Amino acid sequence: MGPLFPQELISEEINILIGFFIGIGFGFFLEAAGFTNTRKLAGVFYGYDFVVLKVFFSAAITAAIIMFFLNHYGIMDINLTFYPQTYWIPTLIGGFIMAFGFIIGGFCPGTSICAAVTGKIDAMIFVLGAIIGIFGYAFSFDLLWKDLRNSGAMGRVNIAEWMGISDGLFILLLTIIAAVAFFAVSIIQKKVVASTNYKL
Amino acid sequence: MNKISILFVVLLVIGAFGVFIIDSTQKEPFEKVQPCDLIDIISQTNKYVTTDELARKMMSDDPTIMLIDLRTKTEFEKYSLSGAINIPLENLADKQYKEVLDQDVRTIILYSNSSDLAVKAWMLTSRLTYKNIYILKGGLNRWVETILKPKEPKETALRTEFEMYSFRKAASYYFGGGSTVGETVIKKKTSLPIKRKKKSAAGGGCD
Amino acid sequence: MEDKSKKFMNPYLAGIFIGIFMVLAYYFSGEGLGASGALKSVVVATVDAVNHDYASNASFFKARVGGEHSPAKTWLVFEVLGVIVGAIISAAFAGRLKMEIGKAPKITNNKRLIYALIGGALFGIGSQLGRGCTSGMVMSGMGVLSLSGFIGLIAIFGGGYIIAYFFRKLWI
Repeated sequence: MGPLFPQELISEEINILIGFFIGIGFGFFLEAAGFTNTRKLAGVFYGYDFVVLKVFFSAAITAAIIMFFLNHYGIMDINLTFYPQTYWIPTLIGGFIMAFGFIIGGFCPGTSICAAVTGKIDAMIFVLGAIIGIFGYAFSFDLLWKDLRNSGAMGRVNIAEWMGISDGLFILLLTIIAAVAFFAVSIIQKKVVASTNYKL
Repeated sequence: MNKISILFVVLLVIGAFGVFIIDSTQKEPFEKVQPCDLIDIISQTNKYVTTDELARKMMSDDPTIMLIDLRTKTEFEKYSLSGAINIPLENLADKQYKEVLDQDVRTIILYSNSSDLAVKAWMLTSRLTYKNIYILKGGLNRWVETILKPKEPKETALRTEFEMYSFRKAASYYFGGGSTVGETVIKKKTSLPIKRKKKSAAGGGCD
Repeated sequence: MEDKSKKFMNPYLAGIFIGIFMVLAYYFSGEGLGASGALKSVVVATVDAVNHDYASNASFFKARVGGEHSPAKTWLVFEVLGVIVGAIISAAFAGRLKMEIGKAPKITNNKRLIYALIGGALFGIGSQLGRGCTSGMVMSGMGVLSLSGFIGLIAIFGGGYIIAYFFRKLWI
């Protein structure tokens, strides 16, 4: 019965070791998909490369489908896992700040770490910037962020429940939307690449 | 999109359809336990003794069993199992009975007309952390039905049922069953519908 | 385009694998995949090491120091160490391990690095305010159908599309 660590079925040392190996898998496929290339990442906003959208949605949908089955057949209790609590105001504002960070910096934290260790100097600078940003946030926390961060608290909200539909229907709709989007962006990408002289 | 990409996307869509179909056909297999199901769950645990087991133990003069009759004194005096001690349910937690009940040498079997009082009593004793306490499944009503007045199984019944019947018939003679206890049986039966009514009323709320 | 598609893994397949690793993370550890959380742990550990008294009193750090273990010994830190190893393995196999600056051909190296620093800082702030970054909050949150994951998705990518036009000179 999963999750194993929160139910103390595996020790903390084993848990951390497993985390390390899971990280290897995550890093391997991020790099393999081309997430260390900042132009491929930024391409999602300019129409010449949609790898971010493709990888991102297939990962989230795969996880949602598998975890639905695991939870449904009692193999894993989703209630005991990490489940981001919803604070809609800071998430919306923070997300918008991250959008600026993404467009200006060309990475997100996960991809920047992969890129930095595989030799991308701009990514190393991005990681440095991110650490500076967190420092800045930490030291100005009481002054600027404390109240904002805890505003708009909604607790633990499941989006399907929130919309008033079943989990299964939501996953199906999400997958169909994603499949249509995958098809559409592959056409857009072809046109944009043909009209600009985009080279990696 | 190349062929491989289409394959993977189709795979995801199929998976999502599978999720949708399972989610809409098989509603919540791990629902919260309803109160009436809880009674079933309780009845599955091994705190019950069947009337056959009890009869076998009594016939072999098992010295470790102790029978506790939870009914009122008047009912107890009319009819009870041989060797039983009368402790009405409301007196079960009294100090004078603590010595009798709080031990771990003998097997204590609680009974009343049906199982209802005995289940209540069992919960009380488990709260008091008394050990080795069991419930006579079906109570005296079942005792009468199965041991004192066993019904002959149909000809098509399994051989084990015939074996059980012959055991019960022997037990019936042992406990002086047959016509001699007919009167008591009728008396017990009058008390029985009242109990059943209560039960079905409680169960109705769960549907 | 032909040689590129051979070079990189099929994005859908890579996504499916990342999804599977996310499930493993949830199954074994009850954790989502993440990155910014590990950077935060590094920051907290650094501040704690330099000035423990400050870390024990300032409200941002207070909750994160003083436990049994060093604030750096968290699941996410080890997961990110794994990410580093995994990325290096993949890049080594594909022959992509080399020092370079990734950028659009039209802008200078210095400009790119300055923008990377600014972007990183913004992402650092945004990820703390929004309780996680693209992988930790949005992708892992979407996996468990958490509303916050989808709000983050709309904010990051929706926001990105709104402002992309103004920064097009950086990339095209």
